Amino acid sequence: MASLELRNIHKFFQEQHSVDDVNLSVADGELLVLLGPSGCGKSTLMRIIAGLETPTSGDVLIGGKVTTHLRPKDRNVAMVFQSYALYPHLTLYENIAFPLRVRGVKDKLVAEKVKWAAQLVDIERLLDRKPRQTSGGERQRTALARSLVRDPAVFLLDEPLSNLDAKMRNSAREELRDFQKRVNITWVHVTHDQTEAMGLGDRIVVMDRGSVRQIGTPEEIYLRPADTFVATFVGTPPMNLVPMDSHTLGFRPENFLHRAFFGNEPDVLDVPFRLSRIEYLGNERLLYGVTADPLPEAKVVARIPSTLPLQLEEGRVEGFGVRRSDLHWFDKATSRAIAAPAGALHG
Amino acid sequence: MADSDGTSSQREDRVLAYSALLPSVLILLLLVALPAATVVNFSVREVQLGESDNAFVGLDNFAWALRAEQFWSALVNTLIWVFGSVGLEMVIGLGVALLLNRSFVGRGVARAIVFAPYLIPTVVAVLVWRYMFHDVVGILNFFLMKIGVIDAPLNWLNSPRMAMLSVIVVGVWKFFPFVVLAILGVLQSIPQEQYEAAKIDGANGWQMFWRITLPYVMPIFLLTALLRTIWTFHKFDIIYLLTGGGPVGATTTLPVLVYQKAFADFEMGRASALAIITAAILAVLLGVYFFLNKRAEARQ
Repeated sequence: MASLELRNIHKFFQEQHSVDDVNLSVADGELLVLLGPSGCGKSTLMRIIAGLETPTSGDVLIGGKVTTHLRPKDRNVAMVFQSYALYPHLTLYENIAFPLRVRGVKDKLVAEKVKWAAQLVDIERLLDRKPRQTSGGERQRTALARSLVRDPAVFLLDEPLSNLDAKMRNSAREELRDFQKRVNITWVHVTHDQTEAMGLGDRIVVMDRGSVRQIGTPEEIYLRPADTFVATFVGTPPMNLVPMDSHTLGFRPENFLHRAFFGNEPDVLDVPFRLSRIEYLGNERLLYGVTADPLPEAKVVARIPSTLPLQLEEGRVEGFGVRRSDLHWFDKATSRAIAAPAGALHG
Repeated sequence: MADSDGTSSQREDRVLAYSALLPSVLILLLLVALPAATVVNFSVREVQLGESDNAFVGLDNFAWALRAEQFWSALVNTLIWVFGSVGLEMVIGLGVALLLNRSFVGRGVARAIVFAPYLIPTVVAVLVWRYMFHDVVGILNFFLMKIGVIDAPLNWLNSPRMAMLSVIVVGVWKFFPFVVLAILGVLQSIPQEQYEAAKIDGANGWQMFWRITLPYVMPIFLLTALLRTIWTFHKFDIIYLLTGGGPVGATTTLPVLVYQKAFADFEMGRASALAIITAAILAVLLGVYFFLNKRAEARQ
């Protein structure tokens, strides 16, 4: 177990700046998620931590020691790959034993360690099988066991759930979280799936085009997005953005509700909403439409639980509103979050 | 009505299918089945070219072959030729494939050069090699003497000991690219993540080769070796064009012996018996090939 720190990491591939001045630290035993769209540099960053890539500049510290130029095997990190990278010609037992075998560990100790790791991920009865005779979930757990067996200081997981179907993914996420709690290892987890990030992470690092947009707990990321990228990347459907004179106004679809819902509450911004389409999704309805005065005309989405007994019709203008406390303001030029401008919308 | 329509159109389909197959079947009968039947027929007769009285002699020709010193020495020559060539082809092929799989400047050009011998027609290649092997004007002797490996010119093709070596050298040179091609294909299909995972887990280069590369390559390596064994076993042109089977039978392999019996000694019966024995040995090798192939397919 160890802490992990990245200092001023830059990585250029040819002319492309794929990691741009990344600074972050992961506490001992923390689960940190790197979240971002594909090509945002999160996998490169993970490979830099693992030692599979060398940063163009900057330092990687594991347990307080600079490891930037150490070989992967001398960093005591373990990595689970997206494809799991199991060896197809070896049994699960030998796959898990691999890191010990190449280090020349004695058979008896290997057997103990493999059994211990297999038990942790509940695959003891599959140890004689080859990877192709197992399911995606079992392979993922084998990969976990393999990375666990030599007591790594830092655990790196690159999109480990993306090869599982949606149903499996939910239970696997729960298992992973549970697993991390038990082994209590410093854990860096790469994903492009916001649900995975929100559900797993102690903290989330949101990345875009090589740089860090925001670091924070899932609540912080969701409730106080640092800029319009984070605001629209996290949350489904994404936050509504309405361009104003010199600012951008944002509010989440679930906070944009029918006026009746607020009753006599003060501090609610009234927004007339011309409905153009209603999507019924079972547990909720998505309402698509256009805002009107006091807001400029802009396409927005409202998300309301199906259980609300609201009679809505496409084409009609409905009285909707948002609590002023649920409004987000962003600078138009930098797209960074700012405090509510004085006098904006009489608030 | 609909039923009978269905059957008649099915029948039409079948007629069409068979008539499309017919030309190929005829060609196969003419070029494979007929000669094969003739060989079988000849092998149990005493056939002298030009004479029509081909007496039935039973298995006499086979008995002769198994007693003939010529047959056994040709078999030994064949084994030396096959295992010498294939062994070297496999080792060199694997090594070159591993080299060409690494990334370096000019890899594309290097690959093209490596595959060149495989594309050069055998006759052309053999003529060039004969010139290079020449004891007086050949570049091989010149070069080896220049760097001091030998003091006097070697008699590459005309000494019994050297001739087999020379033939093997040309065979290996011509066919190792095939091995490179087969193995390079496998090497390129090994997921890079397997090596990265191994690196993180602490494996060194040798361990990665031994525990990842080799297991991936092995099935194709074995199949290629067997395929090369079969093809080398009945290879005729390189040897015949280089040495004609000589000197003093030193490079006379079974196919060369068959040819000599048939077209130099005009003993078609005995040549046919030898050909059938050769084919029987090849059939066993083919059986092993199909067995291994099936197992490799089942494993995927």
